[in-house]
Amino acid sequence: MFETYLPVFLMIGVASAVALGMFLATTLAGPKKPSPEKNLPYESGSNTTGANHIRLSVKFYLTAILFVVFDIEAVFLYPWGGMFRDLGWFGFVEMLLFLVILGVTLVYAWKKGALEWEK
Amino acid sequence: MEITLGTFLALGAILFGIGAIGFLVRRNVLIQLMSIELMLNAVNVVLVAVNRYHPDNHAGQIFAFFVIAVAAAEAAVGLAIVIGLFRLKKSVSAADANLMKH
Amino acid sequence: MNAWIAISPLLLLVGGGLLVMLVDAFTKERNDLATVTAATLFLSAGVSLFALLSGKDPVDVPEVFGAFLATDRLGLFFDVAIGLGGGLSALLAGGYLREHGLERGEFYVLVIFSAFGAMVLARATDMLTLFVGLETMSLGVYALAGFRRGSPRSIEGALKYFLLGSFAAAILLFGSALIYAATTHTDFAGIGATVAAGDADIKLLLMGLLLVLVGLAFKVSAVPFHMWTPDVYEGAPTPATTFMSVVVKAAAFAVFVRVVITAFGDDLSASSAGGWPPILAGLAVVTMVYGNLAAVGQTSIKRMLAYSSIAHAGYLLVGMAAASVVGEKAISAVLFYLMAYTVSNVLAFGSLILMGSRGREAVSFDDLAGVGRRHPLAALPMVIGVLTLMGFPPTAGFFGKYYVFSAAVEAGGGFVWLAILGVLASAIGAFYYLRVIVAMFMKDPVPGEPVAVPMRSGSVTAALVISGLLVMDMGLMPGSMLDLAIAAAEQLFAG
Repeated sequence: MFETYLPVFLMIGVASAVALGMFLATTLAGPKKPSPEKNLPYESGSNTTGANHIRLSVKFYLTAILFVVFDIEAVFLYPWGGMFRDLGWFGFVEMLLFLVILGVTLVYAWKKGALEWEK
Repeated sequence: MEITLGTFLALGAILFGIGAIGFLVRRNVLIQLMSIELMLNAVNVVLVAVNRYHPDNHAGQIFAFFVIAVAAAEAAVGLAIVIGLFRLKKSVSAADANLMKH
Repeated sequence: MNAWIAISPLLLLVGGGLLVMLVDAFTKERNDLATVTAATLFLSAGVSLFALLSGKDPVDVPEVFGAFLATDRLGLFFDVAIGLGGGLSALLAGGYLREHGLERGEFYVLVIFSAFGAMVLARATDMLTLFVGLETMSLGVYALAGFRRGSPRSIEGALKYFLLGSFAAAILLFGSALIYAATTHTDFAGIGATVAAGDADIKLLLMGLLLVLVGLAFKVSAVPFHMWTPDVYEGAPTPATTFMSVVVKAAAFAVFVRVVITAFGDDLSASSAGGWPPILAGLAVVTMVYGNLAAVGQTSIKRMLAYSSIAHAGYLLVGMAAASVVGEKAISAVLFYLMAYTVSNVLAFGSLILMGSRGREAVSFDDLAGVGRRHPLAALPMVIGVLTLMGFPPTAGFFGKYYVFSAAVEAGGGFVWLAILGVLASAIGAFYYLRVIVAMFMKDPVPGEPVAVPMRSGSVTAALVISGLLVMDMGLMPGSMLDLAIAAAEQLFAG
């Protein structure tokens, strides 16, 4: 049991040691000159505005939901891709139908305005 | 320790139990949703493990794919209902859905 | 009969559903959506009925559907019930949504795709199709329950239904995974064969069976898994309530039949000493008693009908339990009952919809006070509706109860007591069903309160006329529907 997983444990050990070592080395060796400017959270170089507990627009959730739903459908494409030649024309037509139905739902979401950011 | 099918079944049962307890004791709808997802994934563990030990067909693996897809759809509908609740009540606690009593 | 024809009711619904989606997305016209939706569902039911009446058995099952979807008469029978129930709900929605300013095309899309899921569920011969069908149906129905977005009750009902429904589905799913672990099969026939051959891990199997039964009991709203039912029924828009009370119940019982007969029909699982029959009998007793007692004290008719639907699940479970002894007879009685229940419930909920107009819904007994004297013709469907739910002859509901209870009596032993208890429980039902008639004809409206005025809607009227005629038809000539049910049950037991 232990022998089987030895490489895994070794890997975990080495990775932790490297990460900790780098962290420690920079903390100990690096020069420290704190200033208010440096303590600000980094936001791509632009000045920070407002508090960090802002309420996100519900549109983010809508977009995220749509993404997840369409993204997960790819789960059926992978096994089909693996068996593509064995399944032949029947499998091809089946998958085409599946994608057409997905396409109709995408068109529906689009026409209903679910993909528009500004209304 | 020998890893057998029983180990995987136990793992699945423990994960499922954690999900079920989480669902029953927490009142935050989002946490309850996550608990349901955990329960579904516990099922996936069992399905894939059984398939690994009885590889005469791929029923378990195919099943797991469908569970993943359905779980995503379920989360979508669930979040939509939670957003509906939040719009009306400004809360995501199941305890605030209390207009109707049994 | 070609298997593609046997599966055509499902294909019709997919085509119709996509069409309604596109029409909804590209036009502003909402008036015809109800008609198109109802036509699709009725067409689907009609094709199934035609296939049933043609009397030929499906042959030439293509490999793809092989173990996953049944193309048998039981499937066709439930296509008829689901198509009919769904189509009538769509007609009711046509009037209701316009009257109450809720006209959005999503409703019809959800109705069609939920009905599709219900048909898949009713034809499921594999745990996989069971799960996918169940979720396709349920996800649509959760959304329908919360369709009235501005109403806290609607959202609250949807939330409760969603949370408990997903929880129950997860339990059912874990049960089917355990059954798979015990038998290495997910198809019902394979599970049944493995169990009969004695190759299954009995402990895992029974645990799996128990969890699957809990999941199904939730979907048919059997006590003690009924908690969601009254709130969801009350909060949902009434056409959505109608839909879930008939379509969801029919499909859930269909798969219930398939699971207990095909997968667990072996001598061990179906013995009266252990296995599922005593569990179902126990569920039947508490469900009948609780459903009827709780319905008595209600002030809202919608809520009363929710408890009544729980009680009806109890009567149906009597038939299911009796199926362990007198299989064909009990199952055909359950099938007949479900068809009768479908048309009866549409009639009762439809009448409630008819009584509400101009943005004001009639939901309580007080709302209906005196409406029978002011509008006798509009009150007629409600009178027939409650009489058939009560089981008063000569209506469809009477023969439904008669067949189920006589199957239980024929099964003998403890099942006779189930039947007696069922008759007593239905007697309690008379109280609250007759209260509706009393309120309509003998009560005066509370002074100062607005009085109920029936709405004018062609599609609601059409739904009421169709369901009313079917209730009377199945009450006066139950033979033809019973023959279809018997043929479906025979084929199920023939293998």
